[in-house]
Amino acid sequence: MPAPQRVARIGAVTAVIELDRLTKRYGAARGIEDVTMTVERGEVFGFLGPNGAGKTTTIRTFLDLLHPTGGSARIFGLDSHRDRAAIHARLGNLPGDFAYEPRLRGRELLEYLAQARGLDGLGRAAELAERFQADLDRPLGELSRGNRQKIGLVQAALHDPELLVLDEPTGGLDPLMQEAFLDFVAEQRQRGRTVFLSSHELDEVERCCDRVGIIREGRLVAVEDVEEVTRRAYRHVTLEFAARVDPDEFRRLPGVIDLVPDGRTLTFKATGDLDPVIKAAARHTVTDIELVRPTLEEVFLTYYGAPA
Amino acid sequence: MSATLAPSTSVARPPSRTLLAVLRRGLLDHRRALLSWGGPLAFMSALMAAMWPSIEGSMDQLMESYPAQLKEAFNIRELTSVEAYIDAEMLSLLIPLAVAFLAVRVIVRALAGAEERGYLDIVLTTPISRRTLVAGACGVAAAIVAAVLAIVTALTWLAGLVAGADPSLVVLARGMANVWPLALFFAGVAVLATGWLHSGGPVTAIAAATLLGMYVLDLLGKLADPIEPLRALSVFKYYGSAIQDGIDPLAFAGITFAAVALAVAGALLFERRDVL
Repeated sequence: MPAPQRVARIGAVTAVIELDRLTKRYGAARGIEDVTMTVERGEVFGFLGPNGAGKTTTIRTFLDLLHPTGGSARIFGLDSHRDRAAIHARLGNLPGDFAYEPRLRGRELLEYLAQARGLDGLGRAAELAERFQADLDRPLGELSRGNRQKIGLVQAALHDPELLVLDEPTGGLDPLMQEAFLDFVAEQRQRGRTVFLSSHELDEVERCCDRVGIIREGRLVAVEDVEEVTRRAYRHVTLEFAARVDPDEFRRLPGVIDLVPDGRTLTFKATGDLDPVIKAAARHTVTDIELVRPTLEEVFLTYYGAPA
Repeated sequence: MSATLAPSTSVARPPSRTLLAVLRRGLLDHRRALLSWGGPLAFMSALMAAMWPSIEGSMDQLMESYPAQLKEAFNIRELTSVEAYIDAEMLSLLIPLAVAFLAVRVIVRALAGAEERGYLDIVLTTPISRRTLVAGACGVAAAIVAAVLAIVTALTWLAGLVAGADPSLVVLARGMANVWPLALFFAGVAVLATGWLHSGGPVTAIAAATLLGMYVLDLLGKLADPIEPLRALSVFKYYGSAIQDGIDPLAFAGITFAAVALAVAGALLFERRDVL
């Protein structure tokens, strides 16, 4: 394709990551199968799954480190393999197990990567190092995992990339730094940057992501708005009445499951519309009511068919 | 939101610029090799040069005591000069094997070893391409080998000069320079192995086995006539003795070309395989 046409196409693209039936197999072993999804510009996308589900394989395939067995990946509207140099200039990547030559100091690594990226200096490195309290002057081999991870975050973002790909970014970070990281992601969203974040830390994803994709045994099982997932999912309902009520009256209601009576208290899960539950409760004297939305972890376990 | 989005400050650089970054980093990573590899080799070679005036007189007797096949195997003709002595003692075995292994190590550290340790993920998600990474590793190997050989040459010459052996810098330099394409050939073997293998140990093992195998094949070919035709399969057949005969331009260029061909083939395979 001639260069001017390609530039015009890039300008029109709003999807930053487009995976179309992306498949990666390792011989007979499972990798990922038919992963199809789109991540829009300015979105913080959480990619969830337990260890071995295929999160890292998906990321490494669309970053052209692994060659797909089938399907395709487009980043910024460009082919992930053919246009890899143009793509990689515009993204920052933090691998799941970030490591580099142990003798090298963080600053030396950043200088190397900044030069490779065509920066005159170290870009945003100083600002990011201060923000994450990263020690750039000690050899990487002398740093704890958390402190190395801080260097990893700095190297991923020093060139202010349009897309940040972060594989398990908070591994080893202390709670304060996890907060700093979440603030950083929120700021990236405000600035219109796109973040693709793989994690099994559900609380982290729930707090910072707009949408979440859930991968299970190499297959994408769901892509949902985080708010929508938690809204649509069941609630934990606890009703306390002034007098004992017949539990079957509630057990028969649509969407009520796992009802447990305990004296004047009924505890159950309610899915879908809560109106029938409220109307049934209103026929009695209610002394207390508690509605608790499930955590993303519980929703996640539901997707996996495990008890929440 | 997207309308006001500033582009990344990173740019897709021309390969020559990213190559410079890879070369610079590689040279810095291997600067200690000048001391750790160049130091011992230079010390040994300088010791030989310094010893020459004290043993020069007994060389005829020594030569007579060597079996003819041994002299042929190690390309020892006449030990009538310090340069010929350095050739026999250092350039027939120790320096070629050591420097070739150094070149293999440089390649392994930059490619398969780095992959094994998970270092390549951050490098290959910058505008540095796999081809550039391979070219950079080969460039660093070429430069480090040249620097080590230069150090050995300089210290050998200096020690000989101080000891009164009066070595010729030009003759010593051409003997050392002749090792350079040989070392790069085995660096090329290591790159080729990297086209298939994902960890440093097996790549080192293959390159080292090829190095020793070719050396032994050449040696046996000199000693046993039935094996002599097989010497053509060994790069050492074309190595010769630049100290005694000067550099053979055809052999020098041919070995260098073979090294480049191996590296190009390895780079193409590396580009087509997964980085694990």
